[in-house]
Amino acid sequence: MCGITGYIGDEIVLDGDDEVASVGDIVHEGLRNLEYRGYDSAGVALVGDSSGLTVAKRSGEVDNLTVPDVADATLGVGHTRWSTHGPPTDANAHPHTDCVGDVAVVHNGIVENHEDLRTELADHEFTSDTDTEVIPHLIEEELAAQRGEGDLLDAVRAVEDRLEGSYAICAVREGDDRIVVARRGSPLVLGRDDEATFLASDVTAFLEHTRDVTYLEDGDVAALSAEGVEVYADGDLVDRGVETVTWEADAAEKGGYEHYMRKEIHEQPESLRQTIAGRLDVDAGDVDLDVSFPPGFLADLEEIQIVACGTSNYAGRYAAQLFEELSGVRATVEIASEYEFGAGRSPDRTLVVAVTQSGETADTLGAVRRANAAGARTFAVTNTLGSTVTREVDDTAFIRAGPEIGVAATKTFASQVATLTMLAVAIGRERGALGAADARPVLEGLRDLPGAVQQVLDAEPAVREAATEYGDSEAFFFVGRQLGVPVALEGALKLKEISYDHAEGFAAGELKHGPLALVTPDTPVLAVLTDGARADETMNNVTEAQTRGAPAIGCVSAGEEYGTLDVSLPVPDVGLVEPLVANVYLQLFAYHVANDKGRSIDKPRNLAKSVTVE
Amino acid sequence: MSDDSVTAVILAAGEGRRLAPLTNRRPKPMVPVANRPLLEHVIEAVAAADVNRIVLVVGYRQERIRNHFGDGDDWDVTIEYVEQATQLGTGHAVLQAEPLVDGPFLVLNGDRIVDPSAVSRIRDRVSEGTHPTMAVTTAEHPREYGVVSLDGDRVTAIDEKPEGPVETNRINAGVYGFSTAVFDAIRETHAPGELTITATLNDLAASESLSAVRYDGRWLDVSNLWDLLTVNAGVIGGSGASDPEGPVLGESVTVADDVALAGNVRVGPNVTIGGSTAIGSNATIEASAVVENAVIFPDAVIGAGAVVRDAIVAGNARIGPNATVAGGPATVVVGDAVHHGVELAGVIGDNATVGGGSTLTDGAVVGDDVTADAGVVIDGRVESGAVVRRG
Repeated sequence: MCGITGYIGDEIVLDGDDEVASVGDIVHEGLRNLEYRGYDSAGVALVGDSSGLTVAKRSGEVDNLTVPDVADATLGVGHTRWSTHGPPTDANAHPHTDCVGDVAVVHNGIVENHEDLRTELADHEFTSDTDTEVIPHLIEEELAAQRGEGDLLDAVRAVEDRLEGSYAICAVREGDDRIVVARRGSPLVLGRDDEATFLASDVTAFLEHTRDVTYLEDGDVAALSAEGVEVYADGDLVDRGVETVTWEADAAEKGGYEHYMRKEIHEQPESLRQTIAGRLDVDAGDVDLDVSFPPGFLADLEEIQIVACGTSNYAGRYAAQLFEELSGVRATVEIASEYEFGAGRSPDRTLVVAVTQSGETADTLGAVRRANAAGARTFAVTNTLGSTVTREVDDTAFIRAGPEIGVAATKTFASQVATLTMLAVAIGRERGALGAADARPVLEGLRDLPGAVQQVLDAEPAVREAATEYGDSEAFFFVGRQLGVPVALEGALKLKEISYDHAEGFAAGELKHGPLALVTPDTPVLAVLTDGARADETMNNVTEAQTRGAPAIGCVSAGEEYGTLDVSLPVPDVGLVEPLVANVYLQLFAYHVANDKGRSIDKPRNLAKSVTVE
Repeated sequence: MSDDSVTAVILAAGEGRRLAPLTNRRPKPMVPVANRPLLEHVIEAVAAADVNRIVLVVGYRQERIRNHFGDGDDWDVTIEYVEQATQLGTGHAVLQAEPLVDGPFLVLNGDRIVDPSAVSRIRDRVSEGTHPTMAVTTAEHPREYGVVSLDGDRVTAIDEKPEGPVETNRINAGVYGFSTAVFDAIRETHAPGELTITATLNDLAASESLSAVRYDGRWLDVSNLWDLLTVNAGVIGGSGASDPEGPVLGESVTVADDVALAGNVRVGPNVTIGGSTAIGSNATIEASAVVENAVIFPDAVIGAGAVVRDAIVAGNARIGPNATVAGGPATVVVGDAVHHGVELAGVIGDNATVGGGSTLTDGAVVGDDVTADAGVVIDGRVESGAVVRRG
């Protein structure tokens, strides 16, 4: 997982500045906007008419990078890295150069045959441990093999044939007024403006400058100049068209909050309102997700397979129970990286639902490709318009949560579960498995979800108090049953991600089958005790832990009471989505425990927002 | 032409206890008028006056404010925040902004709606070097505000909520222009209790250095619960305020012209929405309900056949089927004061549930989190969290 950005064109005025920014400043700004994609090292390469090629790079966050002041630079590329091959060091940071320092390359993805290529390049001098570094040296060889000075575009096209793996690469060369890019398997988008061209792994890098974008397809090689873009596919010049991005990058700034994560937790009432806007017809018990399946497909459906990773996987586990209960279809959840279309299934009677916030998660894309290859119908639930997954599946439902910058997913989990719940109702209704009368309370719960989440946010002081009281414990156990299980897993994941504490989530009934051995007065138990989570039975398990001295914190349906809880947090009455509301308490708990410990909440160590390597 | 040298400091830290229960969960500046918080109307006036750097002084329930306004990009302004941890008065609030202000600046109240001209005229004064200065407007009931005595354009005194008869209807409009010298003036002000900005202004008036700018444009203040209905009506009347994306309307729905509907409102069949009504995001009006001269907050649900007139329904509140807030003049009790003949038939607080067939009469105020059974009759005030049973 890395971020690439680049700019070629005149100097422009950046937001909030009075003076024109240099090419270096523009690239640096793009890197800051992409920092969520990786942040263990960063670097830039700038090319000027008389200054030639200038490279600056170092380990550490983007703000630690000093971009050299190259006054005559006309183009530049930048890179923010999340290590896959080789530790985060200055030498391993991108850009990488060839032996003489004429060519510089930034790269996102993996060159799978880099060891073989290194062997072939035995007479070249390598300075890093990265797979990337073979690329500039290969370009150097190709240029040398050509007549005269050689041409960068031709060289990159030749090199592309020798690379195996998935990647997006950008190459620049001293004395050349173009940036040459190639895409295979990793995202790369171009921004078009008068007399300027932008490039990035993610459109947010340059959205404040232009909304006219061109998405490259796999196998494309393109030459970028200030005047425009030439895209080649299989050697032929092709027109990839220009699309206009309509959403706002502004929403991706954290405003008055210390951390994106807390901002995004507090945005949930509004993001959930967006998720359900115009989609619920409560009276009729219907949902309009603006997707249509082929006639008869849903009636014959035998299985829904959900493929996802991390938090999205937990959203999938929540949904799988609803697909069985509301849609009347057998539903399974697979970890995307483990997914295979197993034997004993009819592809034409299987719907594979991929859940991915970014739409770029490599493991999930891999699972979608395996499902497509098997002939199953595929469906994406994602937050990102124009993302790769939307182009690889048959249908997409967007969760409309708005940009999420904090590495720890919060509002997108809520919107994923809400969207999947609507999908479960829609499929159930269309299959005739769910009557309007049974759908109505579910839809009322969804309708009431924003107000219910607001009530949890209003109760933040009580959660902060609990976090302060119990935050220094040795370990944390999260338990629930039924729909409370995915929420317990998600609660534990959130805490371990951002506070680095040992946290485990599991089905409450499992407590006595082993984990109880770990329970002490220094291991608080956090329990989901709501509708849809078999609260009374879960409370019995909580009591087992309490008799071993563990403090207990419960998220309890309004009106219910468990007198023995140390902390009781009320969850408004919204039926099947109550565990989802309880999850907001767990998000706040994780946030405040981590904040009390001074953790790097928006950028936890070793983690990246969306993981585009397998 | 924007003027980067002037910053607007907007005071938004207060709780607004007189608007309880609406302010039990949100600060007064976040109470919605025409579906947008009071403070948003203030920020729009400031932005329209080409003042594009804003410092918000926040305190009580500040998450609501930070979350809504962020860094101000949606309004083409830069918003920074300072915290007034304990509400020790408006003068103390202004002091909190001192680290972020280094030249002439404006101070506004975050809960009073003014036109951009009130802002631009004070800005012009301070840009010329005339400060301190304050905007002065007129009010029908001046004794509820700070009554201003003038000598030409010079302020001689500000009498805060005077008890006896007053000689003028001129009042403090709550828009000020200062230089950084005012921070020392505030620190030197000795006042019992809260450190108010008016106390400092009186000190400045006494030293013959406070000038007035007369302003007779729009000046809307929500002092009392019933003011919300009139201010809401005034703002909607001034602009067709419905979301262009369009809410989901059922069949045979009647909607008056002066109604503000958020884009994602659900309105069932045969509903009548009368004039001077605002209905917030994700609210639901079920079949055959009648809503008129009302402020409905986000996420609220008005049940089938309910009648809600001259009323305020706060966030996520539930009005059961066929419940009635009949409307008409009423008597409302706020603290120890009894207000007769006010145009407010009922208030339902956040997350409160009023059961089917219930009736609210004569200015009933139902607190937040109240649960009222079906068929009850409520008059007077119901405390937050209470359960109202039949019998």
